[in-house]
Amino acid sequence: MRTEKGPPIPVASLCLLIAVAWYLAAIPMNWVITGPKIEAAGGGLSNVLAFSWNEQRPVIPAPHQIIIELWNTVFAVAPWKIKSLVYHSWVTLSSTLLGFFLGALLGIVLAILIVHSRFLSKSLMPWIIASQTIPILAIAPMIIVVLGSVGFTGLVPKSLISMYLCFFPVTIGMVKGLTSPDPMQLDLMQTYNASGSQILWKLRFPASVPFLFASLKVAVAIALTGAIVGELPTGAMAGIGARLLNGSYYGQTVQIWAALFAASFVAAALVWLVGFAERNTGRLMGARP
Amino acid sequence: MAGRPVIEARELSLTFATGDGPVYALSKVDLAVEEGEFVSFIGPSGCGKTTLLRVIADLEQASSGRITVNGMSAAAARLARAYGYVFQAPALFPWRTVERNVGLPLEVMGLDDATGRIRHNLELVNLSGFEKKFPWQLSGGMQQRVSIARALAFDPKLLLMDEPFGALDEIVRDKLNQQLLELWDRTGKTVVFVTHSIPEAVFLSTKIVVMSPRPGRIVDVIESKFPRKRTLDIRETPEFLKLAHRVREGLKAGHSYED
Repeated sequence: MRTEKGPPIPVASLCLLIAVAWYLAAIPMNWVITGPKIEAAGGGLSNVLAFSWNEQRPVIPAPHQIIIELWNTVFAVAPWKIKSLVYHSWVTLSSTLLGFFLGALLGIVLAILIVHSRFLSKSLMPWIIASQTIPILAIAPMIIVVLGSVGFTGLVPKSLISMYLCFFPVTIGMVKGLTSPDPMQLDLMQTYNASGSQILWKLRFPASVPFLFASLKVAVAIALTGAIVGELPTGAMAGIGARLLNGSYYGQTVQIWAALFAASFVAAALVWLVGFAERNTGRLMGARP
Repeated sequence: MAGRPVIEARELSLTFATGDGPVYALSKVDLAVEEGEFVSFIGPSGCGKTTLLRVIADLEQASSGRITVNGMSAAAARLARAYGYVFQAPALFPWRTVERNVGLPLEVMGLDDATGRIRHNLELVNLSGFEKKFPWQLSGGMQQRVSIARALAFDPKLLLMDEPFGALDEIVRDKLNQQLLELWDRTGKTVVFVTHSIPEAVFLSTKIVVMSPRPGRIVDVIESKFPRKRTLDIRETPEFLKLAHRVREGLKAGHSYED
């Protein structure tokens, strides 16, 4: 049945299709490792399937292997243990949230400055754009080393990397949003002899809210990426990034894939939360249902 | 009725510099509006009628000439919040309810008794009971009435209206014209009204200012003898047709009907 929330059957059948393709693709992709074993065992379809889909360190694990790994590391372990994926996700999530908060704040402040001053618009914009052209992997280790030398370790440096990545879409979106009121509305405020801050808070800011949420959705996903990237070059002991790094040291592809799934679950939850806040704000602001 | 002068313009000119050379939006315009009058600016697109209204409102500044509003410069009058302005579109804030839209100028100006003023002005435009609605829940005519209530909210003596009913159908427009006249009669405001409809100008005004384009100028000023209290029926009278004819002659003399 078709409901307002979208058709569940097409979604489910697409998932099924992906799973089938995945299982089939796992056979040739794992052949390098499993080929000799299958031949040693005498070949045959049952051996092909058994070895291709149950290899300890496969090139690509079968979906059920990832699900089992997720089960073992999420539900079968206490969430505060180092073996728990919940623990690692929380470590990454906490720096994501701090970085997202700081980035959103920085993005909004920059946008307000840019909208109110031609000088700042001309002088800040090139730097803001240049900041985003630098590969984050290149400067992440430097940020962490520099901050470490002045006593900041752990959460703060990772959050700053998140912030560095995620303020950008907020700035761009908010500049657009703050300049979105039409000339008539701005003239109206002029006829009231309204001050700059009254125009900002009563007109520009409320008008920018749809743009704000659109850019926050992008920013929150980027903030998570930033936090994971911030964990990679430092040999962090905890976090989704640490889990990925650890998995690749020991060739634990199943563990890597489980960590990737955890990251995407966290990202989806964060984007959903921003969407939830957007819907509620929209309702308070009288948006057409 | 010779009241106190509210608007006085002498030799007012405004030239816009564009890529294709200067555009003479207003050329040597003389105008006097007295307290309690209902003055319409009528003319084809590009005759400068909206520009003239915007100069009075200090949303645009004249290149030369003098203008006073309430005996002050237009800029000082704007700073003193001398007038309420109604735009071509309602320009309501979609995130505010009707009552909070009407209350916007009161918030900006920090005036007291917001609740009482909002109630009074929504009554004036016959919108009592719609306080909690959002703009999208109202028809176009109702939205424009909200914007009139908003312009009146801080009780300015002068109401500037820029083709406020231009986007509405004729039936709604007739009704709003009549309501506007009643409102004008009840409140004793001075109204300056921009329109491109001849019947609308003749029906509403005590004084009709006929304007012409290239350069924007005043070609005729017509005093109307109709009483302040008038109904739509006067549109069938010979006097009405005579006034309308004179407006049309003025437009013709200003080459408004030529390409």
